[in-house]
Amino acid sequence: MMRSVMCAAAVIAAASAAVADGDAERGAKRFEECVACHALEKDKESVGPSLYGVFGRKAGEGADFRYSPALKRSGITWDQASIDSFIADPQATVPGNRMPYAGIADAAARADLIAYLVRTFK
Amino acid sequence: MVTRLKEVDVVIVGLGWTGGILSKELAEAGLKVVALERGSMRSTEKDYSLPNIRDELRYVVRHDLMQNTARDTITVRNNPSQEALPMRRLGSFLPGEVVGGSAVHWSGHTWRWTDMEFKVRSNYEERYGKNFIPADMTIQDWGISYDELEPYYDRFEYTAAISGKAGNIKGEIKPGGNPFEAPRARDYPLPPLTAILASEMFTAAAKNAGYHPFPRPSANASRAYTNPDGAKFGACQYCGYCQRFGCEANAKGSPHITVIPIALKNPNFELRTHSWVTKVLKDSDGKKVTGVAYTNILNGEEFEQPASVVLLCAYAINNVHLMLLSGIGQPYDPVAQTGVVGKNYCYQTGVGATLFFEGRHFNPFMNAGGSNATIDDFNINWNFDRGPHNFVGAYNVSGGFNTVLPIGYRPVPSGTPQWGKAWKAATAKWYQTAMTIAASGSVMANRYNCYDLDPTYRNAFGQPLMRMTFDYRPNEHRMGEHAAKVVNDIAKSMNPTRLNQATARTQPWTVVPYQSTHNTGGTIMGTNPRDSAVNKYLQSWDCHNLFVVGANVFPHNASYNPTGPVGALAYWTADAIKRYVKSPGPLVAA
Repeated sequence: MMRSVMCAAAVIAAASAAVADGDAERGAKRFEECVACHALEKDKESVGPSLYGVFGRKAGEGADFRYSPALKRSGITWDQASIDSFIADPQATVPGNRMPYAGIADAAARADLIAYLVRTFK
Repeated sequence: MVTRLKEVDVVIVGLGWTGGILSKELAEAGLKVVALERGSMRSTEKDYSLPNIRDELRYVVRHDLMQNTARDTITVRNNPSQEALPMRRLGSFLPGEVVGGSAVHWSGHTWRWTDMEFKVRSNYEERYGKNFIPADMTIQDWGISYDELEPYYDRFEYTAAISGKAGNIKGEIKPGGNPFEAPRARDYPLPPLTAILASEMFTAAAKNAGYHPFPRPSANASRAYTNPDGAKFGACQYCGYCQRFGCEANAKGSPHITVIPIALKNPNFELRTHSWVTKVLKDSDGKKVTGVAYTNILNGEEFEQPASVVLLCAYAINNVHLMLLSGIGQPYDPVAQTGVVGKNYCYQTGVGATLFFEGRHFNPFMNAGGSNATIDDFNINWNFDRGPHNFVGAYNVSGGFNTVLPIGYRPVPSGTPQWGKAWKAATAKWYQTAMTIAASGSVMANRYNCYDLDPTYRNAFGQPLMRMTFDYRPNEHRMGEHAAKVVNDIAKSMNPTRLNQATARTQPWTVVPYQSTHNTGGTIMGTNPRDSAVNKYLQSWDCHNLFVVGANVFPHNASYNPTGPVGALAYWTADAIKRYVKSPGPLVAA
């Protein structure tokens, strides 16, 4: 367990520099890829947990959702950098998490998406 | 004691694609609709999410989403001289039994059947003369045309998030699509899925041979998508768990994420799960139906649900079974060739080759329900002359993968021992190196292929089981030989290290192994009550307030998967019922 936490932390540290200023408008479009599973409204759990209040939340906590043990153990606190690294390759960042999504390889597209989340929640 | 419930406008038996579409459409038209579903409520959130959904034992071996044969099954024989025996375990086909029906566990292949099918007898008689069609081949025109159905195909494709590439938009042939398809008003709602290595290799080989490969249209959303009703789809993740599973990513076009939740939000609609309909009730003179009788299978409580309109939207076999159990329409007699209910049961046929390429890594665990490339050169293409080959019908050929599961998929070259150390070594060696090329073929109606009620065996409700009499005929065997040669020629041109060749089937049909959940016919559509059970609006000729919706209305089976026309006909029938309720009566004069 300790190893996977350190692993995740290392990936986050490496990725944080990559979070550039994204475009929230493009991000809103990009977020359409997420809405089949994630709502932005409070307490609206679906196939995935609501993303309401995601910034500052500990991974695997917050929403009334059956999170995977892997995510609960990950030790991640969601901020722009950690969301960026997670979304880049979810299974590599938190092996065994139960989100069926292959990730967004394009750093600029991730930055747009995160900018949209920031605009929505800040 | 039977509890008689308050009358509603419409009662719908079965809540899959057809029941879901009709529930939504008719509730929105202001009608009070009750849907009765045998199975339980299931959802992506609770049931089809990771990691639990990726369970081959539960969903593939134990058929968690399918009909429970301990409660009701069918009996099977190849011809009327045999005694039919019950199918005690599902095998050749897998009817769904949950909210969403078989459309939860389908792959998503969605085709437009054309006038090649709808005018089958006229077409062949015109081209090859009356004598070309064998005397016992009871094919007939459907009484509907492609042009009538085109807007409804479009509607279904946009509802179900079909990914594909148009080959013919308003008569203009589009490169990369299927050049043989009938003209469509516009392209698919989504671009094709990303091609996997196996389908790329098949595409190249098919092109080299002069054929016209194209990506298979399928209800696996290639991108995130919002359908015209506002239902949200995620993008397909190519997880490989498509056929026999609910989609974990909400990327597969299924009624439980589209039409059904919309209906459930409508106050005009009510869903009752675990409700097993045993009979459609008729009035005293048998000219109309009055509702249905059903049993709550959790506690055995019996109900009568009166309704102004009854819609049979269960699995194709079960719709026909209910018609026979309820005594609606004259049962078909294959010897005397009288009656219509049970007539023209059809299935599908096919051949396949497995190619092994030493050193290649196909990553077969990574695919979508529709990640194949297909050729229709021997299918809806009249330039392919059936005359010299002496068969009626057609087949398509495809290469690629479609749900090859980590445990169940064990390709090995022929000649490998079937168990033990040598088998284990071979499966480890060849797993990554194999791909398949397969042909899926039509089955034409035959006077002896039919349904009736079994004289011996009964279900949990004490009712006779459905009896299926079916076998392939020389027509299908001749087509199989032609298809095997085409498949093998393409396969050989690809120079595989090893090749398990396609061979035409000659053995009688059996209920094992799994073959195809494309059972058609039994309450066929047509132009008159003498040789069909329903008219072109799927309205019973006998009782005008009864509609029978599903592949059971197909007078024969094509090479294509049936869900395209099944979905289109559901929308078509919804429009017909909206007209019907304003002035009830036969929509086509008998």
